[in-house]
Amino acid sequence: MTYQITRTLIKIFAGAIILIVYLLQVIGRYQKGIFTLDSLQPLAQLMFIFIGVSIGILIAVEILFHILFSIGVAVKGSIKNGVYTEVEKDIEKTIKQEMVQDEMGKMIDLKSMKIGYIAVGFCSIASLAVLAIGYPVFLTVNIIFCSIFIAEITEGFARMFYYKRGI
Amino acid sequence: MSTQFEITNCIRKLRFFADMTQQQLAEKAGVSRQTIVAIEGGKYNPSLELGFRIAHAFNVSIDEVFQCSVNEDK
Repeated sequence: MTYQITRTLIKIFAGAIILIVYLLQVIGRYQKGIFTLDSLQPLAQLMFIFIGVSIGILIAVEILFHILFSIGVAVKGSIKNGVYTEVEKDIEKTIKQEMVQDEMGKMIDLKSMKIGYIAVGFCSIASLAVLAIGYPVFLTVNIIFCSIFIAEITEGFARMFYYKRGI
Repeated sequence: MSTQFEITNCIRKLRFFADMTQQQLAEKAGVSRQTIVAIEGGKYNPSLELGFRIAHAFNVSIDEVFQCSVNEDK
């Protein structure tokens, strides 16, 4: 599995975990009576906490993945044929080569980002539709918030699709 | 009437004759191995610049690497 695909998979996984934890928190607090449909203040506070936490988690995951991937490449290079075959510079070169963002990568990024925006658009329309049907604003706000993570996940899947099928 | 351009390449053949791996070609062209795999498999048409860089890596002209067939639908 290449660097880009592994990175995308990890991003999808992190995004899904954050979304699930957020939904569990909202449902749990709603059942406990902390959240009411009339007051959006506690929900907004939770959202702010989650924005901060998710940014922190995504950065940490990215750094951790980068370190682990570099270690993986270094170990693979060092124990080739059971002996130390690659010097430090060669390992560094291999890591750089794996992580290179070329024109195809950029094009895939653009295309998948477009799909991410479409996902956000759909979620926004869905949130308005929910409001129009007569559901509370509480649900609308939650759909809009979740659309960030849904877009991240959709974008990831689109990226993987383009890397596998080509563009 | 529409004209369709089908771009093919013979990178695999050129690599074979030059005894070059995909990784080595990727290094020479300044792209990832994945991009070379995609170009070889016809899943991605590179930019003109990358086309020239690949041709340069083999020390041949661009038309020796990439070919284009034109189909005119009426």
